[in-house]
Amino acid sequence: MNQTKFLSIFIFVILWQSLSIAINSSVFPTVVDIVVNLFDHLINGELIHHLSITLYRVFLAFIISIFLGVIFGILMGLYKKVDDMFDFLLIIGLNTPALVTIIICYIWFGLSDFSALLAVVINKVPIIVINVREGTKAINPKYTNLAKVYKLSKYDTVKNIYLPQIYPFIMASARLSLSLIWKIVLVVELLGRSDGMGFQISMFFQLFDITSILAYSLAFVLIILLIESVILKPIENKLGKWK
Amino acid sequence: MININIKEKKYKKENILKDVQISLEDSEFLSIIGPSGCGKTTLLNIIAKLDEDYDGFVNGDFSNIAFMFQDHCLLPWLTIKENLLLISIDKNLDEINRLLKLVGLENILDEYPNKLSGGMARRVSLVRAFINKPKVILLDEPFISLDYPTACALKEDFLNFCKEFKPTVILVTHDISEAIYLSNKILFLSKNPAKIIYEFDNPNKQEFNLKKIDEIKHQLLEKYPKILEGRL
Repeated sequence: MNQTKFLSIFIFVILWQSLSIAINSSVFPTVVDIVVNLFDHLINGELIHHLSITLYRVFLAFIISIFLGVIFGILMGLYKKVDDMFDFLLIIGLNTPALVTIIICYIWFGLSDFSALLAVVINKVPIIVINVREGTKAINPKYTNLAKVYKLSKYDTVKNIYLPQIYPFIMASARLSLSLIWKIVLVVELLGRSDGMGFQISMFFQLFDITSILAYSLAFVLIILLIESVILKPIENKLGKWK
Repeated sequence: MININIKEKKYKKENILKDVQISLEDSEFLSIIGPSGCGKTTLLNIIAKLDEDYDGFVNGDFSNIAFMFQDHCLLPWLTIKENLLLISIDKNLDEINRLLKLVGLENILDEYPNKLSGGMARRVSLVRAFINKPKVILLDEPFISLDYPTACALKEDFLNFCKEFKPTVILVTHDISEAIYLSNKILFLSKNPAKIIYEFDNPNKQEFNLKKIDEIKHQLLEKYPKILEGRL
């Protein structure tokens, strides 16, 4: 992390701390309170329990969404017919409020993990499809011609010609969807699951326990940042090493 | 033997090519010259079967062809080695090294294309074109945007490879000297639509020196001063 970034975080923490001391209200806890609370939840074990359940759901939803989104995005970018066929569904998917999808899934398929995952996937696949489709449409025809002239196999063409040109779009949608998916998973849990971060936060809401809500969010943001820097960033660096 | 007969090629309702008939013996070197935008690249794309939306036919053995594009067209995300192995059918690294050495390149296999100079990248793309011992090579002005000595060296390397592998070559260019130096047959095209307006036989091309090339060029231009604009 560079100095400016560190400084901006530092200023934010100081501002929050002084503001909460000045306001002195139980619904605006200090940074110290939040961190202490975070450790309390960590030690008694329930944070780990709910966090791991939510992470598991986020992970599954993320993998399924990326998989479907990339495949449909590439097909829609490459083939006009496929694009025409699914474009209409895409627009519906993009414009249906997440809340509606979640409630419909719960009503149709019951209050289960399956419905929860389905709702998240339906919500997030369209965004990935759009990104990847635009990336596929931007494929440089000169490299496609090269593949045709030299009669490259389908496998080689996809691996060495298409994917390297699409991967910046895939990476961008991976990061975008990771941040969107974990937020929507919380909503899904809040509405119809009896475990996970979303459920816990709704409990804290009923108890007016703002400190715990912020502590839980902090824990989750830290984990997502970790995934970003430990998994996504290295992949991106490796793929872009020719630049 | 290659037989090309394009009765008509349209693009957005406009006729680009009209009655273009070309026949070539094996190992012949043909240059096609025409004003810019006349449809030379389209013609080449048709011959390479990249464009199949036309009226006519292209006959010949196109099972093993190579194409040199206007830029080097190396994949920037692959190293030189990966670029060449991707195209190579027998994946023979020794042969790749031998060809690279012939054009004066060594120790560049692990580099990425953007680390090479323009001239070096073109030479790699030259090696790529010959890597599978092609029967037909199509060239779309591969020597433009290079400085004069680099272009000359590249042409010489190209001719050396031609001597070794004896492919049939079709070169699109707008440079008469280049065509006279390299090819034994030159076709001149008109514009809107492109038709063959003049055919020039040039059987002794290898013996030419600069002076002789200039002489032939001037004779041609004296006889047909507007030939480069597509008119006789």
